[in-house]
Amino acid sequence: MRQLSTLPAVWMVLLVIASLTLVGCPKPPSIGQPGESAVTPGSGPAGSAATGPSGPSTGTEPSVSRPSVPAETPLGSAGGPGAGMGLGPGGSGGAGASSQGAGTSPLKDIYFDYDRFAILEDQKATLNQDAAWLKANPAVKVTIEGHCDERGATEYNLGLGERRARAVKEYLTAAGIAADRMTTISYGKERPLVLGHDENAWKWNRRVHFTLVAR
Amino acid sequence: MRRRACEVLALALVLLAGLPHPGETQVIERELRDKVASKITIAIAGFAPFAMNGEDLGRLGASILTADLKFSTVFDVMDPATLPFEPKTVQSGQELPLLPGLNSLKVQYLVAATVSSRGHEAVLEGRLFDVASGNMLLGKRYVGETKFFRLIVHRLADDITQQLTGEKGVASTRIAYVTTVGRTAKEIYVMDYDGANPTPVTGNQSLNLSPRWSPDGRTIAYTSYRNGNPDLFVVNFDSGRRDVLSSQPGLNATPAWSPDGQWLALTMSSGGGTNLFLMPKGGGSTRPLTSGSAVSVSPSFSPNGRSLVFNSDRGGSPQIYLLDVDGSNLRRITFQGSYNTSPRWSPRGDKIVFMCQLAGNQICLINPDGSGLQRLTSLGANEDPCWSPDGRHIAFSSSRTGHRDLFVMHADGTEQTRLTNNGQDSYLPDWSP
Repeated sequence: MRQLSTLPAVWMVLLVIASLTLVGCPKPPSIGQPGESAVTPGSGPAGSAATGPSGPSTGTEPSVSRPSVPAETPLGSAGGPGAGMGLGPGGSGGAGASSQGAGTSPLKDIYFDYDRFAILEDQKATLNQDAAWLKANPAVKVTIEGHCDERGATEYNLGLGERRARAVKEYLTAAGIAADRMTTISYGKERPLVLGHDENAWKWNRRVHFTLVAR
Repeated sequence: MRRRACEVLALALVLLAGLPHPGETQVIERELRDKVASKITIAIAGFAPFAMNGEDLGRLGASILTADLKFSTVFDVMDPATLPFEPKTVQSGQELPLLPGLNSLKVQYLVAATVSSRGHEAVLEGRLFDVASGNMLLGKRYVGETKFFRLIVHRLADDITQQLTGEKGVASTRIAYVTTVGRTAKEIYVMDYDGANPTPVTGNQSLNLSPRWSPDGRTIAYTSYRNGNPDLFVVNFDSGRRDVLSSQPGLNATPAWSPDGQWLALTMSSGGGTNLFLMPKGGGSTRPLTSGSAVSVSPSFSPNGRSLVFNSDRGGSPQIYLLDVDGSNLRRITFQGSYNTSPRWSPRGDKIVFMCQLAGNQICLINPDGSGLQRLTSLGANEDPCWSPDGRHIAFSSSRTGHRDLFVMHADGTEQTRLTNNGQDSYLPDWSP
């Protein structure tokens, strides 16, 4: 910018005009107005969406490979058009679920507020019942699954689901259940119980679910 | 068009003004050219019809090359109908006489290509001419199996981009992502950058999440629930090997490769919190980067490898934070909105793209110092942004179509284009180097 000060006044004037012209150029079209995403009717909690077990799977992984790079040969350099004709052969071508349903248990789900993991007051009665059942069945081990609703980010919800599962585990530990009977797992928002895009679905999906561990 | 005319006028004014001072004019002219006349005008000729396996590879090649060059944001590709000759009739060796006609149309470069076969292989010959000088800048023959014809054409596109801009193009790159298969399985797939050739990477019918390409493009790290716990896996595309890198109880999730490929940052929850750790690329002992009971997820390295951007709820709501790789200098950079997640540092280091909740889930940009917040999307719910390796594009998932589909856009938010359309949910994209 130091150079500018040495320029004649007429140059400066023209430059200012040019700058103003640039600034005044219309912006590219904007990307449209906010719209609504499609909403499909949600089913009640009875119409459970999650069915398949997600434990150790039986599927086989596909074999993977990289599509190999095509063989490349320079086409005559010095020449110009036609110089590439009559080249030698190029190289040969390259290859160039939530276990919901699976371990159905008498333990009831615990529900949460959006983006929160604190045990709600109105959930404590249910959780106390769960604790009583676990005390009455001391041989049973459980997996505590943390789940989230579909809002928010997939990866962050893995962490949030983990915190929900852990909050329930801590509550049950304080209620006298041995910690080594309980393991936690987060499914984030990947295993919704109810399909739907409103609070009627979300409230059932922000949950901790228990599965009994087969022994 | 109005904008272009307006900018040309501005450029003309500056050029006029600069006449008495050639040295300074050049500087300003160059800056303006970068800004204003940044697109390179190119014409595509040749690609005469060539049937192979029931497909016209000539026509296919022309359409792929045209799409590649347009997508690059660097080129203005001439409409074939406006050329002073029939593009398909141009044969090798006949290009030079065409150049004066192109020059008068202000076309800067001509690419002429022919498709043929050798045995079961497809052969593509591409030549690039500087219209003004008549020099051939690039001439190359590409040979490969017909099933890789799209990649062959992408290679020509990238060679043209490299030749004319000095930058590596993205036409040969691929995008890894997660897609629903059946009712509950979520598998990792890889497709070409333009959405072609979707190919499964996992098939274990459980949850597979957060694919991340290593910087050399040979492996993908991802989290899989196949063994009943979210474990960290690495699959090698050269050897076909699949290894468990980390299987601590709880999360082994949201990996990020260091730029030198020697380290992975990941989230683990075995220690009581849900924190970030640094792990050697082959697995082994980890070093904690964060501590405490808050959630720390979705790390992404700065291009110089010295810092990480990540997502944490340590302040009471999910926000974007930076951290040096030695675990020091933690600082929050987002303060607008109560839900900011999924950050990715740009390849040039100047921007961070993330998911913001401003009128729904949207894609936003911010500078690493927390200034310059900018929203790029407005339609539907948008998540999971990631950069193209050249930093000119952003891929993301969006529910605007009813399903979650993958989209790409220019890094300024323009030209939002759908990549997947298979009736399944596709999300968590990661763009290969």
